[in-house]
Amino acid sequence: MSLKKILIVDDERGFTEMVKLNLEATGYYQVKIENRGTHALSTALKYKPDLILLDVIMPELEGPDVVNQLKRDPDLQDVPVVFLTATVTKEEVDVQGGFIGGHAFIAKPSSLEKLINCVRDHIG
Amino acid sequence: MKTIFKKDLAVLVIEDNKIDAKIVRSMLEKTSYGKFHVSFVMTIKEAIELLLTQKFDVCLLDLNLKDSKGLDSLKKINKKYAHLPIVVNTGAYQDSLGLKAVTQGAQDYLIKGKYKPYALSKSLYYAVQRKKAELELQIAYNRLKETQSQLIQAEKLSCVGGVASGVAHEVKNPLATILYGVEYLNMKLDKEDEKTVLTLNSIKDAAKKANEIIKELLDFASISHFHQQAEDVNEIIQHSLNFTKHQCESNNIKVDAELTDKLAQVKVDKNRIEQVIVDVLLNAIYAMPDGGGLTVKTWAETFSASLKSKIGDSANFFKAGDEVVCISIEDTGKGIKKEDLNQIFDPFFTTRRAAGGVGLGLSIAKTIMTSHKGGIMLENVRGKGARATLMFKVKRKG
Repeated sequence: MSLKKILIVDDERGFTEMVKLNLEATGYYQVKIENRGTHALSTALKYKPDLILLDVIMPELEGPDVVNQLKRDPDLQDVPVVFLTATVTKEEVDVQGGFIGGHAFIAKPSSLEKLINCVRDHIG
Repeated sequence: MKTIFKKDLAVLVIEDNKIDAKIVRSMLEKTSYGKFHVSFVMTIKEAIELLLTQKFDVCLLDLNLKDSKGLDSLKKINKKYAHLPIVVNTGAYQDSLGLKAVTQGAQDYLIKGKYKPYALSKSLYYAVQRKKAELELQIAYNRLKETQSQLIQAEKLSCVGGVASGVAHEVKNPLATILYGVEYLNMKLDKEDEKTVLTLNSIKDAAKKANEIIKELLDFASISHFHQQAEDVNEIIQHSLNFTKHQCESNNIKVDAELTDKLAQVKVDKNRIEQVIVDVLLNAIYAMPDGGGLTVKTWAETFSASLKSKIGDSANFFKAGDEVVCISIEDTGKGIKKEDLNQIFDPFFTTRRAAGGVGLGLSIAKTIMTSHKGGIMLENVRGKGARATLMFKVKRKG
């Protein structure tokens, strides 16, 4: 069985490394890290991920702008995006049913279980 | 001559010299400058007794009485009846004593034999007017002081609130890294080694604790976003009590809810008010580590002066005649230290630092109540514990 490909775009190096380690340890996923929002589009085009985990607040280019770039690209517009953000609380995410602006949201820090469940919901 | 001073004045004359009393009586009763209803007593004791049952507009006080001498007499009356204007009437002329009397609350200082009916009438009427102005000034000053302290509090809170969201974002990212790092190590490291498990759990708990603090800080930042609608206070209380039921049971605390039926609804953000009540309940529970009793009451009443003293500096939101719904939460704990009462709503003030208290709960509670234009006050109940009172204004349509 081939591994599902996940791209994580987040300027927090340490955080992206931990997400990669944990998701790859499940044995179902292969994770690529991109720490610069401005490079997200080109990395995604090369890597062809099944799912993108995307930080909201990043220097240079913020998460919602990255989504706009992805949506304009025919190869990437259908790739599901899950926002990872420290700007809202778990409660705020729960109140919104886990979706804000049509995208799934995970509040930082959330439990690993929640992150894995969310990934599983999107790409199995 | 026609009457100059229109209002009738009830005058209490404290004078033990019969001749002097007679002179004052004839001056006041026969004068056409104003209309006086004069009562005479000979001692301070009699004066205080009479003042208990009878209302006077002004007091004319001799300083040389059988049961009290000099300015002591002034102090005694002033202490018990601060609202009563006093004019000193004495035989001994001393400039320094006169000035001293005025400094200590007398409205005027008259020398027996040196004034005529008009001057006496004028002195008494002016004393009443001056005292009225003085009291109004005092009320305005108190209000200004209350407003000032509210502003200082609001400034402190908005300062914390402003920093909160920025800090939250910066701190949550490293926290997420720590938590996911611990999860990974948990998977990979030897579960048999107790020390490894202890270390990982300690790191995880510390990160979670830090996250809780951040969450409380964020509550400040989002405090202005309310979703207010008409709610039943009793329902909010029941819900809050359910929330804290477990803590009450495990701490051997008996809960007694005396909730008044059919209270008028109040316009509030239910979740936020629940947060306030739960916080107050938890504080009460913490105050009774060896068990005790918790009494929660709700009632409606009309706002009046007696309620004003119960609600402290939040009283500015209410005026006499307002229909209010009140909640009181009373515990049988050790009460609040006198020196802590002034700071209890300050951000980061806590008496439970060692037990992990952050000191934001009550200041958030106060901010939430203030944003609802509601009142909250904490006080000690003599020989019982502490009591929190919450108050909301009922707004009727039309």
